[in-house]
Amino acid sequence: MNSLFFMYLTNGIVMGIIFALSALGVSLIVGIMNVINFAHGELYIFAGYISYILSVKLGISFYFAIPIAILTIFIIGILIEESLIKPTYGNDMYSLIITFILSIVLQNFALLVFGPFPNKPPNWISGATNMFGLFRYGNQRLVSCLAAIGIIIIVFLLIKKTWFGKTIRAVSQDRETASLMGIDTSKVNMLSFGLGCAIAGAAGVVLAPIFPVTPLAGVEISLIAFIILVIGGMGSLWGCIIGGLIIGIVQSFGAAYISSGYKDIFGFIILILVLFIRPSGLFGRKAL
Amino acid sequence: MKGIRYGWILLIAVAFFTATICYPSISISADTIKIGVVGPRTGSAAATGTAFAEGIDLALDYINGKGGLLGKKVEVVFEDTGGVPEKGVAAVEKLVNRDKVPLVVGTSHSSVGIAISEQANRYKTPFIIAESWADEITSKNYKYIFRAGPCNTGVVSEIIKWLKAEGFKKASLVAENTDWGLGIKKLTVEALKEANIEFQTIDTERNSKDHYTELSKIMKYDPEIILAFVYGFGVHYFIAQANEVGLTPKAIIFEGAGPPSLWPQFWENVGDAGNLECFISSMHKSAQPNQVAKDYWDNYVKKFGKEPSDYKSRSIYRVLLIAFDAIEKANSLDGDKLVDALEKSNVTVPSGQVNFGTEKGSVWYHQFQPPMLIIQWQDRQQTVIFPENVATGKLIRE
Repeated sequence: MNSLFFMYLTNGIVMGIIFALSALGVSLIVGIMNVINFAHGELYIFAGYISYILSVKLGISFYFAIPIAILTIFIIGILIEESLIKPTYGNDMYSLIITFILSIVLQNFALLVFGPFPNKPPNWISGATNMFGLFRYGNQRLVSCLAAIGIIIIVFLLIKKTWFGKTIRAVSQDRETASLMGIDTSKVNMLSFGLGCAIAGAAGVVLAPIFPVTPLAGVEISLIAFIILVIGGMGSLWGCIIGGLIIGIVQSFGAAYISSGYKDIFGFIILILVLFIRPSGLFGRKAL
Repeated sequence: MKGIRYGWILLIAVAFFTATICYPSISISADTIKIGVVGPRTGSAAATGTAFAEGIDLALDYINGKGGLLGKKVEVVFEDTGGVPEKGVAAVEKLVNRDKVPLVVGTSHSSVGIAISEQANRYKTPFIIAESWADEITSKNYKYIFRAGPCNTGVVSEIIKWLKAEGFKKASLVAENTDWGLGIKKLTVEALKEANIEFQTIDTERNSKDHYTELSKIMKYDPEIILAFVYGFGVHYFIAQANEVGLTPKAIIFEGAGPPSLWPQFWENVGDAGNLECFISSMHKSAQPNQVAKDYWDNYVKKFGKEPSDYKSRSIYRVLLIAFDAIEKANSLDGDKLVDALEKSNVTVPSGQVNFGTEKGSVWYHQFQPPMLIIQWQDRQQTVIFPENVATGKLIRE
């Protein structure tokens, strides 16, 4: 065991938590609404862009820029649900195609408005920390990782401990019975979709200082999110966390000890292995 | 179902709107000479497409201001490659068969350049490459393929001369896993061995944003210089993260693609980590070899209200000037006559006087290598540090 090993492990865990946060919104939407939101990555980048404009162009402190960006994406999510997703209920294929087209439209819109260059909000904190005298690690990464953990905990508390979370879980388990119990399932869908988008937005603002946003940055985020979704099990929040950590750690060690030139392939290898061994994902419900 | 229909209509309308704004069509009329340009207007190197668009504007102003070519106005049909070979091939297919262009210029990715050169040669359509550096493109010695831009062999030769001049003894070589990255890595490895410079090599994924793993390996090796052959925004992350892990400023980063160190958001993305970074370029305000270069600079400032930074705007300008000259001298749009005119070209462009190699058997066939500069960021100012005859300052190390 040397300092390099601990460096790879630390980076794998940090990246894993970041990946988990990126995938959490997709998982929530799939779990509740059975809708696969292909435009998830683009909502992530738009949150990054909004926080960039607010903090760099308008000089607003990131303490305000972050909640404004997340709230904006929440509202955009609700508008998307009402205008594009709601009419597709009952046909999963329609929602899949429509969000796929939406992602392309948003990519081009980002290219048109923001240009091809990466945009980076300022770091919340500068410098690096000497980790146990073994290696230096960027402070912004550590803070972003802590912020990601905080957001994940808030989402879990919201889903598991609040009345709103109960209604979401009820709709997710049995939509018809929930409706008979007086829950307005349309509103739950709308708010859940908005919440899923807001989580994508939260990931965007937390990560944009480390990985600046570009019009196509969302594609990679979506890809990783879907890999994690399948590995962890469709709609499982815990699956998301474990899946994210697996991908982060495997990528880090794979790049370190096999080849850094083919870092992305390790996620796909894990995906194939999981699909072979447990097609429903690590925490997924088996089909009846 | 009514809702679904509205949703679709809305999406299609928005898609149409963005598509028409992002990719404006260029009107073509029979009274014009059309020249095809290919380059990445989308994808991870879309910034190059922006630079190309600027260079095209200036070249068209220049030629049409002189009355056009063969008594006709010149127009450019600029097709997007997205930095992807198959899109590049489709773009040339359209340019040759639908737009009927007599020649094509441009492109910046080696993989795209390699794919397009096969196709252009098959169609017997002259293709002048601006910024695809892979040796393979001209070493195949195709009749219709020319390159008026850097080739890997020429670039590596300059880099090694500089490393020797500065007395570097230990280097890390990081290369992206693309045709360009792996090609230039191979040549650099051979040259480093010949120069007796100790080195390690590390491959990196082209679109990778997280370079901590690669940087940890480099930290352990403790080099004096890191030769980073990474194109696109990835190199910004690499530079910022190298500083986080404490690798720089102790070691110097040399960025071997050039434009990413000049893109507008460079300083926003890398912060102070960009100081003392070195990069390769074919353009600097202080190194203007002729009046054409000075005119280009002045016209750019006049048109865009800023000084040119990405040298790829001048690269596309360069190949368009060569194309204009060839059409004028050939007095024809016939492919074979254009090849003949290109082989005899001696036109002056901002990089000097063009003379394509005509002896078969090497990478220098149909190759014009513009002089390359090595520049260092010193307190956010560009200082030319190599070659000595145009240097404006010396390399600063920590």
